[in-house]
Amino acid sequence: MPTAPPRRGRYFQAVVLLNKGHKMNLNIVLQILVNGLFTGGIYSLVAVGLTLIYGVMIIINFAHGEFLMIGIYIAYWAYTLLGVDPYLSIPLAFILIFFLGILIQKGLVQHILDAHPMSQIVLLVGLSTLLIGLAQFFFGAEPRAIRVPYETAVISFLGLRFSVARSVAFLSALVISVVLYLFLNYTKTGKAMRAVSQSRVAAQLMGININYIYALTFGIGAAVTGIGGVLLAPNHVMIPTMGVTYSVIAFVVVVLGTMGNFIGAFIGGLIIGVAEAFAGFYLGGDLKIVASMGIFIIILLFKPSGLFGRKQR
Amino acid sequence: MNKNQRNQKELAPSLSTWFKKIILDWDSFQMAVNFGLLGLIALAPLFIDSSYYLGIIIVTLIYAFVGVSWNIIAGFTGQLLIAHISFIAIGAYTTIVLLNKYLISPWLGIWVGGFFAAVLGIIVALITLRYGLKLDYFALFTIALMVALRTLFKKWDYVGGAVGMWFRLENPSFGKMIFASKVPYLYITLGLVLLGLIFQYYIYKSKIGKYLLAIRDDEDAAAALGVNTSLYKTVSVAIGAFMGGVGGGIYMMYVTFIEPPQVFDLGLNVEIVMTGPIIGGLGTLSGPLLGALLNKPVAEIVRAVLASGRSGISQIVYGSFLIVTILFLPYGVTGVIHNIYEKLTRKYQENR
Repeated sequence: MPTAPPRRGRYFQAVVLLNKGHKMNLNIVLQILVNGLFTGGIYSLVAVGLTLIYGVMIIINFAHGEFLMIGIYIAYWAYTLLGVDPYLSIPLAFILIFFLGILIQKGLVQHILDAHPMSQIVLLVGLSTLLIGLAQFFFGAEPRAIRVPYETAVISFLGLRFSVARSVAFLSALVISVVLYLFLNYTKTGKAMRAVSQSRVAAQLMGININYIYALTFGIGAAVTGIGGVLLAPNHVMIPTMGVTYSVIAFVVVVLGTMGNFIGAFIGGLIIGVAEAFAGFYLGGDLKIVASMGIFIIILLFKPSGLFGRKQR
Repeated sequence: MNKNQRNQKELAPSLSTWFKKIILDWDSFQMAVNFGLLGLIALAPLFIDSSYYLGIIIVTLIYAFVGVSWNIIAGFTGQLLIAHISFIAIGAYTTIVLLNKYLISPWLGIWVGGFFAAVLGIIVALITLRYGLKLDYFALFTIALMVALRTLFKKWDYVGGAVGMWFRLENPSFGKMIFASKVPYLYITLGLVLLGLIFQYYIYKSKIGKYLLAIRDDEDAAAALGVNTSLYKTVSVAIGAFMGGVGGGIYMMYVTFIEPPQVFDLGLNVEIVMTGPIIGGLGTLSGPLLGALLNKPVAEIVRAVLASGRSGISQIVYGSFLIVTILFLPYGVTGVIHNIYEKLTRKYQENR
């Protein structure tokens, strides 16, 4: 009776690859690092939007990933109907989702700012469900994808391979985060937003119109996340429920980088991206979520104030 | 003859005072509404033959039972245990594993499933209490746990991995809970809901219930008054998880299959767990049943009215339900009924 060949899983392959030589080894590690950073760039953008909303309004936006889903569908329809390159639809997506965010803030979120967390979570989960339902109703539940000419284009540099689409996405995410950071730190409106996040009452006493700031914050937070979706569009399959995954990842990132901390969210996104990339390589694609969930649970249990948090809880 | 007449005379006023007592007390009035609705549902098979409609009624009853289980955790104790679906899935998995691998009847299996769900619930409660996770952080923890369990069950070959588990529908057999028609399922779930509602009432009226409500209203004050908040939070999560597990087992036997990506899902969690109790009125006695009666049936009616093959309609319904309830009916349908009830009883008291 022939004996079955020994089972050789992904881990075995990874070990073989790693043992082929020192240079190969380092190259693979660097390549995984690059891939992780590129994924992490999008996570950072989504998390920055979430942390901004949390910092100013002290609510966890459970419908956050849905703005990313809307962004990717805007890119899809702009490309399919108008032939606009996904990267050129960034301004369109920004404006549309910005106003959608303001509408949602004025119509829904404004009424529950002082409510019990249960009401806040239920309302936002309801909003998330509603947006997913609308997307399924109008766009269908089946996966869609954009076919752009540069979809599989790759640049080789220092022995590493950079996907063009993902490089552009990463750099755009970086630029948008920096612009947002400068906006928050050096403009009057940005300073007002930070003031509200520090103290609602004091900001109001200084003559800041907090309802205006809330609407603006929610709009910007949503729009930034929507841009994350647009940046994913060239090399990512889209389905209406995809936002939930990104919501969960954004929660992980935001808790890791301290709720409400802008730089923390950005760095946290990169950390989670890299951790997922390494876990995906060594454990298999399905298990990469284990890395982020593991980090999440450990952070929640041992340092719920996050990496950049002062000891307060 | 005389004796009989006297007995009847005594019986009549006692009956009417008994009736008044029930109607004039809001809690027992809610239970009367519950029993009335369940009584109507029990008569449904006499008028409905279509297995499609019977199916909707059965699913509604399962949602009501699961709603009761979540109501105890979220409504009575005020714990933001969002991803309650984990417990339901554990119960469902236990039931099917026991049936498929050990040939243990689901009549026993669902209770074992409830037990395992309760064990998980106690672990969750102990971990979160040990590390002081509350409110938002507790909610996020339960969601992370759900995602972790999804990955675990996807990778766990013993329980079918990513394909999940199912059982073959063989000849009808009482022991395996397989029936030729849907009517027996209806009465099984009806009995379960009846038990669940009575148990909920008992908890609500008992000392434990008062502790749970005190924790919900002000945890620090409750602790200051000597309530062992850690113990009673754990107890409430364990009870809710147990009932969720039992509900999951029954749901498993009804839908006959389970897949990790579909079941450990926030969307399903919204449909099964959250929508019912919230639109019915979280923390009330009749909320879970009233909410379940609106939840699935309305989604099905909207789907039938729009008569399109498009998906997403039920999500639109559930999402709008949640939003409208939170914005306009903070205490759900039961809250509306309560307002009317208060007016009527006050009028009655004044007229007397």
